[in-house]
Order: sequence, then structure tokens, then C-alpha cells
Amino acid sequence: MDTVQEEENQIQVRFVTQQKEFAVTDSAILVPTKLRRYGLSEIINHLLGFERPVPFDFMIDNQFLRTSLEEYLQTKELSTENILIIEYVESMLPPTSLSTFQHDDWISAVKGYNKSLFLTGSYDNHVRIFNTSGECLQTLLGHIAPIKSVEWVSVTDEHAICLSASQDRSIRAWQVSLTDGQYTPLYDCKGHKESVECISVNSSCTEFVSVSLDSSILLWTTTQPETSEEIEKKSKRRKLNKDILIKAPIATMRGHIGPISSVMFDKNDSNKMYSGGWDHSIRVWDVETRTNIDTKICDKTVLGIACSDNLIASGHSDKLVRIWDPRAEDTAMVKLTLSSHKNWVSCVSWSPKSQFMLASGSYDGTVKIWDIRSRTPLYTIQNSNSQEKNSLVKKLFCIDWDLDMILSGGEDNQLHLYGTKTLDIQS
Amino acid sequence: MKRQRDKEETSSDEIISDNIDVDTEDISDEDNEGTISSAMSDCETFDQKEAQVQYEIGANGYPRQIWPEIDPIYESDTSTEDPVNTVGNIPMEWYDDYPHIGYDINGKKIMKPATSDELDKFLNNMEDPDSWLSVKDVLSQQNVKLSDEELEIIRRIQMGAFPDPNYDPYEPTIEWFTSKPEVMPLNATPEPKRRFVPSKWEAKRIMKIVRAIRQGRIVLGKTQTPKPRYYSLWTDNDKPREEHIMQIPAPKIKLPEHDESYNPPAEYLPTDKEKEEWEKMDPDDREKNYLPQKYPCLRAVPAYGRFIQDRFNRCLDLYLAPRMRRNKLNIDPESLLPKLPNPKDLQPFPTSITLSYDAHKGRVREFSIDPSGIWLLSGSDDKTIRMWEITTGRCVKTWDMDEIVHSVAWCPNKDICAFAVAISNKVIIISPPAVCDDETTNLTAQYVVSGFNTEKNEKQMKLVEWIKPSTEQGDGFLVIVQHAHNKVIKQITWHRKGDYFATVAPDAGSQGILIHQLSRHQTQQPFRRTKGMVQRVMFHPIKPLFFVATQTFVRIYNLVKQELVKTLQSGVKWISSLDIHSMGDNIIIGSYDKRLCWFDLDLSSRPYKALRFHSKAIRSVAFHKRLPLFASCSDDGTIQIFHGMVYNDLLQNPLIVPVKILKAGHEVVNNLGVLHCEFHPTQPWIISSGADHSLKLWT
Repeated sequence: MDTVQEEENQIQVRFVTQQKEFAVTDSAILVPTKLRRYGLSEIINHLLGFERPVPFDFMIDNQFLRTSLEEYLQTKELSTENILIIEYVESMLPPTSLSTFQHDDWISAVKGYNKSLFLTGSYDNHVRIFNTSGECLQTLLGHIAPIKSVEWVSVTDEHAICLSASQDRSIRAWQVSLTDGQYTPLYDCKGHKESVECISVNSSCTEFVSVSLDSSILLWTTTQPETSEEIEKKSKRRKLNKDILIKAPIATMRGHIGPISSVMFDKNDSNKMYSGGWDHSIRVWDVETRTNIDTKICDKTVLGIACSDNLIASGHSDKLVRIWDPRAEDTAMVKLTLSSHKNWVSCVSWSPKSQFMLASGSYDGTVKIWDIRSRTPLYTIQNSNSQEKNSLVKKLFCIDWDLDMILSGGEDNQLHLYGTKTLDIQS
Repeated sequence: MKRQRDKEETSSDEIISDNIDVDTEDISDEDNEGTISSAMSDCETFDQKEAQVQYEIGANGYPRQIWPEIDPIYESDTSTEDPVNTVGNIPMEWYDDYPHIGYDINGKKIMKPATSDELDKFLNNMEDPDSWLSVKDVLSQQNVKLSDEELEIIRRIQMGAFPDPNYDPYEPTIEWFTSKPEVMPLNATPEPKRRFVPSKWEAKRIMKIVRAIRQGRIVLGKTQTPKPRYYSLWTDNDKPREEHIMQIPAPKIKLPEHDESYNPPAEYLPTDKEKEEWEKMDPDDREKNYLPQKYPCLRAVPAYGRFIQDRFNRCLDLYLAPRMRRNKLNIDPESLLPKLPNPKDLQPFPTSITLSYDAHKGRVREFSIDPSGIWLLSGSDDKTIRMWEITTGRCVKTWDMDEIVHSVAWCPNKDICAFAVAISNKVIIISPPAVCDDETTNLTAQYVVSGFNTEKNEKQMKLVEWIKPSTEQGDGFLVIVQHAHNKVIKQITWHRKGDYFATVAPDAGSQGILIHQLSRHQTQQPFRRTKGMVQRVMFHPIKPLFFVATQTFVRIYNLVKQELVKTLQSGVKWISSLDIHSMGDNIIIGSYDKRLCWFDLDLSSRPYKALRFHSKAIRSVAFHKRLPLFASCSDDGTIQIFHGMVYNDLLQNPLIVPVKILKAGHEVVNNLGVLHCEFHPTQPWIISSGADHSLKLWT
């Protein structure tokens, strides 16, 4: 034993996990400090005795272990005498490309529904609905300018109601029959003076909000109006020509200076809403009182935001993903910055299952999957096309993490579906 | 003194006469020995006074005759006397142990006189009442009895009086030089002029002091810091003075090493290969100027071949060695550079390429960003105009034109949505469809078209023609302004309110600059004739001023008063571009001879700073509308970003700091690089267009 100790340092560790099916003995184990993730994973697999080894990731103090134990101890200046408690989780498997759905033009918006239906908006002014087998169930025609954002409102077995926002300054609600291939535009939302950049439906699907380049945030209800609501007298003449109902916003919220790029309702609290714009701010709004209750300032343009249960992620024009804590009082305090992208981060999306994981899409054509406990991305998904032609990188405009599937679309006219085996940590 | 001497003379004369008398007596007498005493006895009888021969009791107890003092005059012969002292004034104790004192002329010892012992001395003292008057003469080792005169001298010295009783210290003064002023002058020469003119030398000395006061070397009324009255003489604080501070010893000759021995150890001897290498090497590159060699014995060592050369080198070393220490000025070269802030502290500014807008098939000569910063409009040599969405790089709309597009410019009025395009001798006003809402589109159309109703005078008809385009001509065409001259319009620039715009056609002579009013379809020719070839024009962002850049000058005109306000002398050979700071007091120009000049209009008509950082001609310069940034782009394919802070304080000069060179974006095609650059109106982004048919967004 003495000779072994001379050769390599050892440390007592105790492995804990929150996944009960992978739990191992609670007693401390002596392991060599030169081990890295792979070595520790081998130990756990050895203890578990499974037939097929399961890869694990290891965390100390809620931070992923990305170095050897020895280096970790050195950087943290910890002694090898104490017992180290290492939490382990099942590693996320590398994402696999499931399929790609070809479009006619750039894809600007995508939303999935329970891995069964995929709603996409494209620069050819069309909104499309795909099923898992890649069939285009519907192509919704009606917008006269590129689509910028799409949202599901409600989906039943027969019908689906969805929204699409376009550069033609309108938002249109559609009712789509999933059985007989019919669709009807329900109403047109008019009120913005510039391209509508993003829409978001609240959790109870009663209201939705839209933001535009004209720096206004408009709040709408999802109920179908009985008659056209007149916004202003001047638009009367044109309304008569159309056989579609016009809807007016129920509230206008102003506060941003310059274009607003992204908006999102809080997942739990329908009364709360986040928006990010070119004025380098992320604003928190109280929907009921229509007031801006908090403003977070950074020094770069916000291109896309997403909120999880308690954190906001934002993509920026300085190639960073910033993670904010909306409860923090300091307006300029960034909880975490994730840097790895090589160009603007245009869109972010949190994992619906894990509170630590998010995906980000960038103009450098890559999707990166992050765990906020680790500073480096877990995986980088590079489109095969852009790997072939290095000169022309295809920008990504939209990303959506739908259950365990990541959808991304961009300049390459293809909707990419990636399967991810998610981590089952519900802490 | 003289008088005293006279007295002595008289007295000595008497004595001499006496002696003569005596001598005559001596001569008459044959026997010398006997006659003296007889003569004395004769004298006694002869002269009552003198005849009293004095006797005294000598030291030996016998009476001794006292002779009168002999006056040592010429006739007196002392040679007969015994040499009393031949050793001089030396300490006589040296002769204590000898019986003699010195030697006489014949070399014989002069014996000491017999000395009496202590008992004799005592008896002498007791017996002789005058013994206290005798003093031992050290030189002659004999007792001498003091005479009365000598006693008198001693007594007077003891009293503190003059030894000579005849000396009168209080003689009446004789006035050799009288104190009484003479009435008449002693000489008749007139007073010289210098007695009346101020002294030149005094004036010089005073001027020296005055100069010192002026230069501050002498400070008047300065209280001198008193030096400490007492100081420690033996303190250790004083540094010992170094001796010969400036002296530098001559360099020493290097001592020989082991391998210079005639019989060096084997490991020092070079191999054949090393020898060969050494010989191939240039003599200056050789590490050592000799090769170690081995000789069987010292006798076999030949004469040293390099002796002369070595001596010569040594002389050179001594001759060229430094003879004194020079005090180097210890200045950090960094401290001489102006203190510029770190570029990192001057964020934000564009740093890297983000997007590329590729669709054009020709050079993109000029582009324009709409006032809200969402749309980008580019005109190209492929006879198309394209509209792009800035953040995504999407080409939204394309217009096909008949000719090369030289200039495009968005109307800065935010209420209307239109832009102007320059094609050959036409300017077309286009409202892009489906970009702004219907209301604005209608407003724009009404605003632009309403001018057709206004009447035009003949003068204007000669200059331009405002044509209503047909719908087939192009999508969104509102007005075509057809110029009468057939020259190419190179630039369109808008007034900040979006009603007036100016066109420049450099080759069109007097009609080169025209100012058009969009709402009323009016055209003016502001200059009857233009001096030089007009390169660029611009409206002042605040005041009614108009900037005209010709090849070497920038002239500023007041449009209201219709007069020339100022002429800026650029000092460059050919101005290529011009931009005005949003505050209006600073302008920058770029030139084809690689220079970027910054003018501060409040400062002078010459450049405040001339920056020459590009290696090829500057094509375009641009200010940011809100942030303190400006940029220049050049044919060398780079864009340079500068921080240009203008202060509201008039006393503070603008701060110019180069912060970034944006490279590796545009390719240089046919010696043409980046043709135009413009900042985004709100964000710290810059867009550039190049001869490589593309536009780039840098953030």
C-alpha cells in the first residue's frame, strides 16, 4: 500500500447521485487523483455492474469536473486529506441528427409541439406545419412579407391554432385542421408600424405579446373577435377589401429605445414578461399593470432571449450567451457568460426538462448545447453543409428545444431535427 | 633716531680723542707690558678725572682693572684678542663632556676656562659683595660683571620703559603733508570728463544684477533660510569625496588562457574539422583569433606572427577607450509619447466581421443605411440597387437600372420612406414598397408628387426636368429628376430635414452643384461657376452652411447670406471624401494621397490632425452619428476605426485615438479595395462595401 501511495496520490471520495437507479454505496472510496471523468465513470460502472456501461458526468460543488481531480484540487487549493463529495449524473449522449426537412427559402422561425408537429416560418412568406415523418401537412399562405416568428396557441387532435408574425407588420392567427388539410386564417393583428420580430403566448394561452422594430410591445388576446376592430380611421378603406377580421391590441407598452428583437412570457407567472432589444437592455414587464418593473443593462445588442423557471438566457451580438437572474437587484449583474460561438448568437432555448441546460444557435452556423454548471459547451452541432464549404457559413435564425428534440433552422433552407437523450435530474 | 646717533658720535669722538692720547703715550713707550700700567699710573696723575683707574675684585679674588669700553671703530684692533667663541650660538651643553669649546683658527682646541667648583662659587658669593652683579656669559663660559649702564638698561626694561633713557617717544609731530587746503591748485589741468559722466563699469555691474533679478537668479525680498549656527563637525553623514570621479582606467589586456600555451592540454587542441571551420570563417566572425597549437618544447615556438597586429589593436583599444563618463539623460522614451487612453477603455467599436451581403455582381460603389438602422441600400456597377435587412443579410428587394448606380441616399426625414438614386444624369426618388406601413407609403407618395403642381420658371427648366415616371419603369419610382447636362452625377446628399438634396456632377462645370427641393420640385444653381473640380458637397447638420470640397480646398458657404464663410486648406493633393461631425464643428476629409485630415472649425483653417495610416488611397471617411467614432476605408482593403471624442468645452481639443484596423474582409480587386463605409445610425457597427462585389457588416 505504501508503494502505491508513493507512486500516485489518492483521495477519499464519496459518490452521490439523485438518479436512484444509478445509486452506489454511500461509503467513501479511495481513488487516485489523476483520474478524469472517464476514469471516475469507469469506477461507477464497475460498482454498478451493468452489462452496458453508462457514461456519467461528475460534479463537485455544482460545477462539472472538466479536469483531473488533481488539477481541480490544485486550483481550488483543497487538501487531499478530506473526503470529497462528488455528485454524478448520467452523461448526455451526443445529439444525433434525426432528419432534415427541406424548405424553399430561409427558415426564420420554428416551434415544435410534443415532438409530433413542427411549425416553421420562412422567408418565402409561408408558414408550414410538418409532422415527424417530414410531410408538410399545411402551407399557410397569406402573409406578404417574410415570416419572423411563429407560435402554437392550442393543439387538439383535430385542430391546431397557431400564430405567425411577419415583416408585413401583421400577426395572423390560423386554424388548421389536422385531418382534412383545410386551414382558415382567423384574424389579423394590426398595430405595429414595422416588422414584427417576435411573439410569445402566455402559459394559459389567453394572451400573447408581440414586439416590433418600431420599439413597441403590443399585447393581444387570443380570442377571436366578432367584428373587425378599428384601429384608426385611415385604415378603414383597406379593411373593407379583405375578408379577414382585424384585431386591435389591448395594450401598448413602451420603454425600449429602438428595435426590440425578442420577447418571452414567464413560464410560471403569466403576469411577467421579458423583452430584449437593440438598446442593450432586457426589460421585465408586469403584464397586468403594463409597466416596466425591472431593466437589466449589458453593453451589447440583445438578439434573442429565453427564460427557464428562474433564469433568463440571452444571445448577443458580441458572440456571448449571457445568463441573468431576474430576481437579482443589480441591473448590470450577469450571472454567467458563455462564450464559444464565433459569431452573433441569434437564438437561445432552454431545455424543457433540465433547468441547467440550454441550446443556442448562432450566425456561425452551429448549435451549441450548454450546461450552465460548465463553462464550456457540452456539444457543438455543426451542419454538414457548412463543414463542406468553409467559405459560406449558413446562419442560424431560430432554435427550439422541444422535449428531447432540438429544432433549428436558418439560411440553409433546412429544418434540422436533433435527438438528445436528456438528463433526468429534477432537483 | 638721527639725533641720538649724533649724540653717540659726539661721545665717541671724545673717547677717540682720549684714546689717541693714550696711544701716543703707548708709542712713546717701548715696553708694552710695563708701560700700560705705568701709563695708567701716568694717567692717574695726568688727568684727575680719567686717572682714577678702576679696580675691582675679580672672580678669582684679585683686583681687576676695569678698562673703559673699547669702541669698535676701524682703528680698533680686536685680532689680538683671544677668540672667545668659535662654535657660534649653539646649545653649550653639547660641550659639557668636553674640556674644550670649539677650535681656533689653527685647529687647536680652545680649552674651556677653568671653572670653580660649587664651594668656590659659594665662597665667592659670600665674599664678593658684587657677585650678584656677575652673569655667566654662555658663549665664552665666563662670568661677566654687569656694568652700571647695563644695570640701568635692565632696570628700565623691568620698569617697562624704553631701554634708552634718551629716547623721547613724544616728539612733536612734523607735518610733512599739510592738512590745510591750498587756495590755489598745485596744477592747472582741467577736471577730466570722467569725473562728470556716470561710470560705465558701475553701469555694467548694475546691469548684471538687474539681469540676474529678471532671470530670477536673484529673488528680491527673499528671506534667506538661515544656515544652522552650529553643526556637528564630526558627523558621519558626510559622504567621503570620491577621488577622481571622472577617471576611467584604461582597459586591461586579456590574460592568456590555457589554450594559448605552447603546450596546451590535448582537449584544447582543435580537430582537423574545427581547424577547417575556423579557417573558413571570416576573420571578424572568429571567436578567437588564434588556433591552439602544440610545440614539443619552448625552444621550438616560432616568433609570434601576429605581434604587430596585436599591438596595433591594443593601441586602437587604448585610443578608442572612453576617457570620461558621460551622463546619459535617463528619460523613458515611453514618457515622451502622448498619453492616450487604452483602446479597450474606449469600447464600443466594431472589432470583427459579422455578416457579408453577397449578391451583387459588380463593384458596390455606394450604399446608404436608413435612418432607423434596419435597412441597407446598395448601388452597384452591375446596374442594380439592392435593399438588405441589416441584421440577417437578407436581400429584400432588387431594382434593375439602366446604368451604373453611382450614389444612393436615404431621405433622413423619418416621416417619409424614400431614397434617392443617382444614375448617369438622372436622380430617381424611390419609395420602397412593403417596407413601411401603408400610411407612411401614402404620405411619402403625396409628399413627393405634390411638387408637380408648383409652377416652374424658365431658369429652372434649363437646369433640370422633373418627370413623372410611368409604373413600368420601376417599382416604387416616384419622381425622376433629369438634369440638363449630360454628365454623370457622382453624389447625392440630403439636408438633415429631408426636403432639400444636393447633387454633384464633377464634370458639369457651372452646373456641377445643384440643390433640389423635393416637396416643391424646385432646383437652384447655387454657384455661377465653381473653382476647381468639385469632389463632394455636404449640408451642415445644424446650421445653414454648405460644404464644398474641391481637389485641395473645402469651402464653407452660408446658404442664407449667400457668402463664403471659410476656406479650409487641406494640404492634400486630391480630396476623395468628406464627413461632418454631428455637432458640426469638426470635419474629416479623406484623400487619394493616403491622408485623413481632421479640421476643427473653431481652431484654424488648417488640419488639426493629419493621419496617414493607410498604405493606399482613402476612398471614404465617416463619422458615427452618436458615438465618438470615425472611420476611414482605403484601397488597401482595410477599414480603420478611430475614437474621436469632441468635447463641449471649447478649450479642450478633440481626442483622437486609433482603436482598430479591420482587415481580412474585403479583397483587393484591380487595386480597388473598400470603396465606401458608413456607421450604423444607432449601434457601434460599421458597414463597408468593396470592389469585391460584397458588403460587410462589422460589429
